[in-house]
Amino acid sequence: MGTVYITQEDAFIGKTDERLHVKFDKKTILDVPLIKIDGVVVLGRATISPAAISELLERHIPLTFLAETGRYLGRLEPEVSKNIFVRKAQWQAAGESVQAIHVVQGFVRGKLKNYRNMLIRRQREFPDLDLAAYITRLEQAIAPIDTTNSINSLRGLEGAGSAAYFSCFHQLIRATEFTFTTRSRRPPTDPVNSLLSFGYSLLRHDIQGAIDIVGFDPYLGYLHCERYGRPALALDLMEEFRPLIVDAVVLSALNKRLLTSAEFVTEPLSHAVSLTWEGRKTFLRLYAQKKQSEFKHPVLGRKCSYQEAFELQARLLAKYLMGEIEKYPPLVLK
Amino acid sequence: MDDLEYIPIAALNQYGYCQHRCWRMFCAGEFLDNQYTIEGTSLHDRVHTLGEGSREETWQIRAIWLKSERYKLIGKADLIEVENGQWYPVEYKRGCKGEWDNDELQVCAQALCLEEMTGQSISNGYIYYAHSHQRQLVEITNQLRQNAIATIQAVQTLLMTGEMPKAVKTKRCDGCSLFSRCLPGVVDKVGRYQEAT
Repeated sequence: MGTVYITQEDAFIGKTDERLHVKFDKKTILDVPLIKIDGVVVLGRATISPAAISELLERHIPLTFLAETGRYLGRLEPEVSKNIFVRKAQWQAAGESVQAIHVVQGFVRGKLKNYRNMLIRRQREFPDLDLAAYITRLEQAIAPIDTTNSINSLRGLEGAGSAAYFSCFHQLIRATEFTFTTRSRRPPTDPVNSLLSFGYSLLRHDIQGAIDIVGFDPYLGYLHCERYGRPALALDLMEEFRPLIVDAVVLSALNKRLLTSAEFVTEPLSHAVSLTWEGRKTFLRLYAQKKQSEFKHPVLGRKCSYQEAFELQARLLAKYLMGEIEKYPPLVLK
Repeated sequence: MDDLEYIPIAALNQYGYCQHRCWRMFCAGEFLDNQYTIEGTSLHDRVHTLGEGSREETWQIRAIWLKSERYKLIGKADLIEVENGQWYPVEYKRGCKGEWDNDELQVCAQALCLEEMTGQSISNGYIYYAHSHQRQLVEITNQLRQNAIATIQAVQTLLMTGEMPKAVKTKRCDGCSLFSRCLPGVVDKVGRYQEAT
């Protein structure tokens, strides 16, 4: 199971029998059995046949459209899950409820602990780095989480922890041609930020797919407040995965020189930076590999891929909200 | 009660197998195929083609709707036969007879419908197991009737309240197509889990 990324501008997406068929310039560029697909992401412009659309909907395969730069445009959503009970539990916990506070604590703790563990690991690998002060700042943001009972204050801790992490993120990049000063978005104005933004877009597609399967309403979150058209719950559940997947892929792409400055283009005037076509293919391949890579799930105690973990965490969240389990355990990895 | 609140006969079978599975399928609208359900569906594709005919002295009707006003039951029968004026249901199942009595409950519920629809009392039904190609007699005993009626009431309550029965890990979980959604072992695992500091 996996996600199909279509990067070829003006590709034609169709279906033949039980297979998804992508053509460009009358030549087949991709031909995969539909049973192996659990998501399709179109980057840029593509045509999709009516038969392929109904087949994707029939099989509950979501189709996401991203702009060439990775900016999220929208999504063709298969029928929503009939499990009204999950959505009911989700809505009942909305606002400043005990459950909402508990899960927000989990999302923030998961994200910050994974940030901290990443810094600790890098510090051990490269003793020349000076990360101690940032690790301490992260610890200071993590410590009060479980006794903080207001969602706004938890947002504050999350902000403080993220600030500490991104203040030393430049030290983690060991390729001299790339620099990072601060997180910049909409548009990202340097290669590192453009990779982070692109990676988070891809992650968002995957997490939203997982929460849809479980039956949540993606637009009601707890850490992220409601705003028109923003899938707040997907953003909530993404938090713990950001460092584990996207940041890890970005750093390894840069540090292993799999992407060089030749793979980035800068727009005049706006200075928006994006990947070249080739660079995008490379990054997508690395992201897909990361999703398939396995680790031992600390709660289940068995091997699992990140791709599976998206759905597992969403199921654990549903079970917590429905009162089946007493706590929501965010995915924290050493 | 209005028309929407008839109980699907198939839900009785699922309830007899696992209450939580029954909730997932009939309250939460979840269904996932696995090897067993696919085998079952392809078997029923053959059986569930409406038709009638006769086999020697036996008149057969396939895939007709059964309904009981008294018990508020509704469902499709695989096969109904009449022999010497006596009606009885035949339910098709993949595999061989399992350890659970859920298939008997389903046949009994069909017999209850058939009694109401024909006005005669029905003392026997059959389950045809595709694996052994053999019919197994199901006697509609008083005990079985009582079990079926109790199950009907339990399913009625389940469908009306939507209250979720707890997922309990048993040997049956191994063959269940909803295992990956239900994760029955996770309650204990989360309870024991200590997040690293």
